[in-house]
Amino acid sequence: MQINGISIDDSFAEAFNMRATRVIVTALNLKWAYHAANAMTGFATSVIGCGVEAGIERELAIDETPDGRPGVSVLMFAMGSKVLMQQLETRMGQCILTCPTAAAFAGVDSEDQINLGKHLRYFGDGFQTSKLIAGKRYWRIPVMDGEFLVQETTGMVRAIGGGNFLILATSQAAALNAAETAIEAMQQVPNVIMPFPGGVVRSGSKVGSKYPKMFASTNDAFCPTLKGLVQTGLSDDIESVMEIVIDGLSFDDITKAMKVGIEAICALNKNGKNSGVKRISAGNYGGKLGPHHFKLHQILAEIVK
Amino acid sequence: MSALTFTLKSTLAFKLDCRRLTPNVLADLSLSQIKNLSLLNTKNSHKVSDFFEVSGENSPSIVFKNTNDQLDYIGHKMTSGQITIEGDCGDFLGANMQDGTIICQGSVGDRVGDQMQRGLILIDGKVGDYCGSRMIAGTIGVLGSVGKYTGFAMKRGTIILKKPVSALTNHSNFHATIQDCGTHTLPFLALLFQSFQTLPSKFSGLNNQRAQRFAGDLACNGNGEILVLV
Repeated sequence: MQINGISIDDSFAEAFNMRATRVIVTALNLKWAYHAANAMTGFATSVIGCGVEAGIERELAIDETPDGRPGVSVLMFAMGSKVLMQQLETRMGQCILTCPTAAAFAGVDSEDQINLGKHLRYFGDGFQTSKLIAGKRYWRIPVMDGEFLVQETTGMVRAIGGGNFLILATSQAAALNAAETAIEAMQQVPNVIMPFPGGVVRSGSKVGSKYPKMFASTNDAFCPTLKGLVQTGLSDDIESVMEIVIDGLSFDDITKAMKVGIEAICALNKNGKNSGVKRISAGNYGGKLGPHHFKLHQILAEIVK
Repeated sequence: MSALTFTLKSTLAFKLDCRRLTPNVLADLSLSQIKNLSLLNTKNSHKVSDFFEVSGENSPSIVFKNTNDQLDYIGHKMTSGQITIEGDCGDFLGANMQDGTIICQGSVGDRVGDQMQRGLILIDGKVGDYCGSRMIAGTIGVLGSVGKYTGFAMKRGTIILKKPVSALTNHSNFHATIQDCGTHTLPFLALLFQSFQTLPSKFSGLNNQRAQRFAGDLACNGNGEILVLV
């Protein structure tokens, strides 16, 4: 498959079942809502080392937040409910409770409820008070800047993590530029996050390693500097590869994000322009590990028509 | 569906106990059963239809019309639904209330929300003495003036007033164990007032997050509060 001179591999991204939650973080202004949310979603690129994968989904206008203040919505993904609950509570305690003027609310409805401020309230040392408003319980915890308002619980839902695609380009700059373009477009898609720095990851991995203690190691087949050393997956003209990983609340959400991202990259080559992007591929483990397969050709079929 | 409506037939020369007229007590009764219901659980008690015209359909929403200050114990121990009083009512409005909403568009007597445990009482007019006395939790809002000893022996819960503070303090309206915590901006009030927006009360028009906060009753742990909107 070719789109604007970019060849699309007949490959698929392999994704896993995850648990997710959404938290609405508000503050006096957008600046401080971002400070709170950035702290909360910091060091949350991959479940392997961070426990959760988290990111800011989007900005919220004042008429979209429960307390009528500016805010952002945060999505958080983990491999299991236990880790998600632990990580949510620690991050709430260290990042939202501490952040001036910040408040946090449930962002997703579900029968499964996990603690948002339920335990955090004990920080109030007996001066905490709760309020049941329209069937939802909120905690008011006295803090030095006034009162920290937090909803007792938020919903936990089943989600999918690990949707991805690879950008293969003639230079590092070209690959990065294409990745940035894709991320910008994908940030407009609801229900997804791209958890890596700036949404982009350069250290794609393979399963296993020559070192017995390592479960994963660098994806040598896609490392441009190893072309002569290993069985490479790269042609001579590829000098840099970058990956975009997507976690989403549903299969369709991830499909849409991948489509929008790849579409944006292909649009860079419109009218004969040369972005330096040569190929789009996707990462998988042979299809045996993850239950969800995002087939590039299927996702992009409409664009080709 | 029109709400179940109780219209008082005439003025009363005596107090009338309305504690059985709550959504949860009336839940499974037909209109004729409601009309024949004894107002008190005693042998010679008057029936509902002796004093009230009953109309509308049985529903979780009850309306009282043509009311006056002789009607006591409206919403006593109610557990759900909404009671709207289109006028004044007597003492012990929402006493021992367990959940639900009571809206009074007129003024109320003494002991509003006495020992209430949960739920919401909003009053457009004024209230008598001991408003929110022995309150366990919940929310009471009063737009008019309040009598003496508001929040007496309250454990938890919130009483929202709109009377200027100077008027309150000058009259030593609060008990000595209700303490002034100063004036603050309280973000939770935005959520609270938002939840009032659809209610048939003058509270639906409020959106004020500034309030002078009185904590109390300190004789009962002091986890309750009286918020005077400024």
